[in-house]
Amino acid sequence: MTGHADRTERAKRMEHEDQTEQPDTAERMGETGGGAWLLETVAVSKRYARDGRPLHVLDRVSLGVREREFVSVVGPSGSGKSTLFRLIGGVERPDEGMIRIAGRDVTGKRGLISYMPQQPSLFPWLTVRQNIASALVIAGIDRKRAAGLASEWLERIGLGDTAGAYPDELSGGMKQRVSFLRALLMPRDVMCLDEPFGALDALTRTRMQAWLLEQWEAHRRTVLLVTHSIEEAILLSDRIYVLGGAPTTVRREIPVPLPRPRRPDVWNDPAFGRLREEILALLGRSGGRDD
Amino acid sequence: MGDRRWRRALPPVFAIAGVLLIWQALCAAFDIPVWLLPDPWSIALYMAEEAVLLFGHVAFTLGLALRGMLLGVAAGVICAFLFHLLPAVRAAFSPLLVASQNIPLIALGPLLMIWFGVGILPKLILLVLVCFFPVAWSMLAGLGQSEPQLREYLAMIGASRLQTFLRLELPASLPYFFAGLKLTATYSFLTAMVAEWLGSGRGIGYFLVLQYKGFKTTGVFASIFCIVACSLVLYGLALLAESWVLSRLRMGGSRSKGGGRA
Repeated sequence: MTGHADRTERAKRMEHEDQTEQPDTAERMGETGGGAWLLETVAVSKRYARDGRPLHVLDRVSLGVREREFVSVVGPSGSGKSTLFRLIGGVERPDEGMIRIAGRDVTGKRGLISYMPQQPSLFPWLTVRQNIASALVIAGIDRKRAAGLASEWLERIGLGDTAGAYPDELSGGMKQRVSFLRALLMPRDVMCLDEPFGALDALTRTRMQAWLLEQWEAHRRTVLLVTHSIEEAILLSDRIYVLGGAPTTVRREIPVPLPRPRRPDVWNDPAFGRLREEILALLGRSGGRDD
Repeated sequence: MGDRRWRRALPPVFAIAGVLLIWQALCAAFDIPVWLLPDPWSIALYMAEEAVLLFGHVAFTLGLALRGMLLGVAAGVICAFLFHLLPAVRAAFSPLLVASQNIPLIALGPLLMIWFGVGILPKLILLVLVCFFPVAWSMLAGLGQSEPQLREYLAMIGASRLQTFLRLELPASLPYFFAGLKLTATYSFLTAMVAEWLGSGRGIGYFLVLQYKGFKTTGVFASIFCIVACSLVLYGLALLAESWVLSRLRMGGSRSKGGGRA
């Protein structure tokens, strides 16, 4: 949990950011096409051979994320969202199309994004601090600074007590906070969150969404979130790409016209409900599995 | 915790004491001659009398076993690394390796003696051949067993092959390494004893041969006790090393490999 002192500090920071960020936010909401993409998938297609039969997973999927923007990709389970991330991460190569970061073709290149998977994926033999530091060292930060950063930030998000604990001593929600912090601290331009709360129970999930919103409002990193939860996408995002069909294509790109900074109770806003209906309709209801 | 541990140790202690008592009673009841089957008390007395002599021989064999084990385990670990990191090497050599384990020691021993004489070298070679295999084989299995989620995570953040090996595969293979080490520890003392039959003037293996050739059955039994005790000690040391290392790495020893606590 975030400490009280931390909360007030964050409130101050947000106030400050509120003033400086306002024009930027307005511009972001007003404009959806064009602009300088920080991360971009350009007409990306992917096919697999499954049981000898070709399986067309992604069909010319084009989407983009601007700097300091929170973008979600929503689609039914099994719509190739994780495949999309593997392509962006460079673990696999698309059959057609390319991945660009800051305008540069980085198709098949690894180590350019920070990543938060669905499972916390913490190393059981490392403490919380070591887990974070270890990832930072892989990302090229020197050992001493990595350990310092890990300790400092664990304190900052109110997890200072857990720095020396091992992952099996933490609850599911705490593990995901650590996993998020690990992704946040990676010195990369884009954070890719792959269903980060998909494995949590409904209550923890709701809390974690509010927490992530709070963290993002405070740090404003460039985020691409994959989720099958429509509410989660609306709550957190500036824009939403709705995926669907087989093979998967981008059904529509939807800007979220809710003001920033956003509060977790934003779902009371009538715009929230309208957006939810729109996306549900796009997913054909049956596809919009949600919890 | 400690209390439960003692209670768990009680049944085997009672069982061993029971067997010794029955043995002693049978020897007395049927008046079995000492050269046929000595009673435990006579063996104990003999061991006490010849303690210095026995200790000298045991120490020699133990030294040989430990050196062989160290070399064998090192060879096993290196072999596992090579096979794991270079699949072509693995494909080429693994049948050969399995075959090597089927060469009977009884045939190999004399050959090694012909090639390398009666010094320490042929004995160490024999020990290494026996000791490296369990470690190599189980560690190789362990290196390929690491958690797929962690592997995927490292791939996504751009970890190199070497980083994946050092940060994931190597620590994840440690429980398997210790499984192999325990097997090796069990075999190493026995093998060292057999190796002494390849012409040695010292060691408990040499002493054992000397005793049975002279029909000194009590001496044979005393040697057997020493050998069993040393094998158990080596196994116990491997067990201690395992629980120390694995508990430090939160791997919970042999109790819960892979399965985390709730």
